Amino acid sequence: MREVLDREFEACRRQLRSYILRMTASRDDADDIVQETYLKAASRLDTFQGNSSLKTWIFAIASNLAKDNLRTRQRWTENVTDLSREAALSDPVFFQEAMHIRLSSEQGNFEIAEHIAFCFTCIAKSLPLEQQLCLLLKEVYEFKVTEIAEIIVQSEAMVKYYLHSARSRMIQVFEGRCALIHKEGACHQCSELNGIFNPKQKFQEEVVKIAMAREAAQADKEHLFDLRMKVVQGIDPFESGAAELQLHHLTHNRKVMENYLEKKQD
Amino acid sequence: MNYSTLFYTLLILMTTHTSTHAQSGKALTVKKTFSRETSVSIDIQADAAIVWTLLTQAADFPRWNSTVISIEGEIGLGNTIKLKSTLDPKRVFKLKVKEFTPEKRLAWGDGQGTRVYTLTPAGNGRLTFSMSEKIGSPMFPLFSKYIPPFDASFEQFAADLKKEAEAIQNTKN
Repeated sequence: MREVLDREFEACRRQLRSYILRMTASRDDADDIVQETYLKAASRLDTFQGNSSLKTWIFAIASNLAKDNLRTRQRWTENVTDLSREAALSDPVFFQEAMHIRLSSEQGNFEIAEHIAFCFTCIAKSLPLEQQLCLLLKEVYEFKVTEIAEIIVQSEAMVKYYLHSARSRMIQVFEGRCALIHKEGACHQCSELNGIFNPKQKFQEEVVKIAMAREAAQADKEHLFDLRMKVVQGIDPFESGAAELQLHHLTHNRKVMENYLEKKQD
Repeated sequence: MNYSTLFYTLLILMTTHTSTHAQSGKALTVKKTFSRETSVSIDIQADAAIVWTLLTQAADFPRWNSTVISIEGEIGLGNTIKLKSTLDPKRVFKLKVKEFTPEKRLAWGDGQGTRVYTLTPAGNGRLTFSMSEKIGSPMFPLFSKYIPPFDASFEQFAADLKKEAEAIQNTKN
């Protein structure tokens, strides 16, 4: 049985690691929790009764461990990218570090699809935690409602409620903010950063390669959100060619949020 | 047809009419000298757990319910919530949760009146959602003309709840 676990764990390790990263916004915490998940699964293997798949059981253990993590529990604000942009502009070190990664790392490319996935991670942290978990598990990692109910130990009705309310909220936020899908959208960070990191590239030529942006004028907002989720599904935040640059950006946004929330508490 | 048969025929017709009306989503208001009661009922094709969740997640109300501007506080037995309604946007109603029986019955109100929500199984995965509010007191005749009619707001509330609950119910597995 241990061999079966090892095989299944290896098969889902990458997904698990990105799932935890999207909850904690911390590379170190994600690695720690993945490791803890394996140890816990191995030590409790005799309690696995086969009522769900082994993968669902592993994600349930990981979700439980992640829920105890302070950074997972911390809820960000919807304007996280605005606050982080302001902080980055007043911090020359941020762009020095980012440009160093851009020029020296094999994973230092700037890609618009990567930034869309990064942005989703940040905004999703403004949802109530249960909603964020359900949204990630269904829309990014493609678990079924019945499996999510087992993972987060909730009824199927509650999972459906969390999913629906999370989707509604995210669609509303992106409709108001994302200039890729809405001309009046307040956030232009994709084009701004593309201009900084890829100065020779024509943004409009790049952006039409992404179905969500290409179909923005015709498609309804539900479909646009599904297309956004397709982009996120296709990105492994640790393995892609833009991973190091985006992880640097995510760490920056997390610190900005931690400072902001701490000040707000005072 | 004798009087007895006529009486029972009329009674059946009245009962049938009331039942149809009750679940149509059309509001009904009964006015009396010292009170006024508005009610509405509608059939919803959704689990009671979903409807109950929508009725008890205070902060989420404005997202799906176009008659509610905001609800502050936690909807739980004995708690006080602060509700802002489109019926009177300048007022904040401080309401006490008086009854809280999960997936069955919820009531909140103040000294003037009480609003009651009930969920009743209707078979085949349906339920009947009913909402009523009775306002009244010995002083009611003096201020009744200042209280706006509830009918349109009640119908909208029921329609919004049905639409949202059924959309959630139909989430793909």
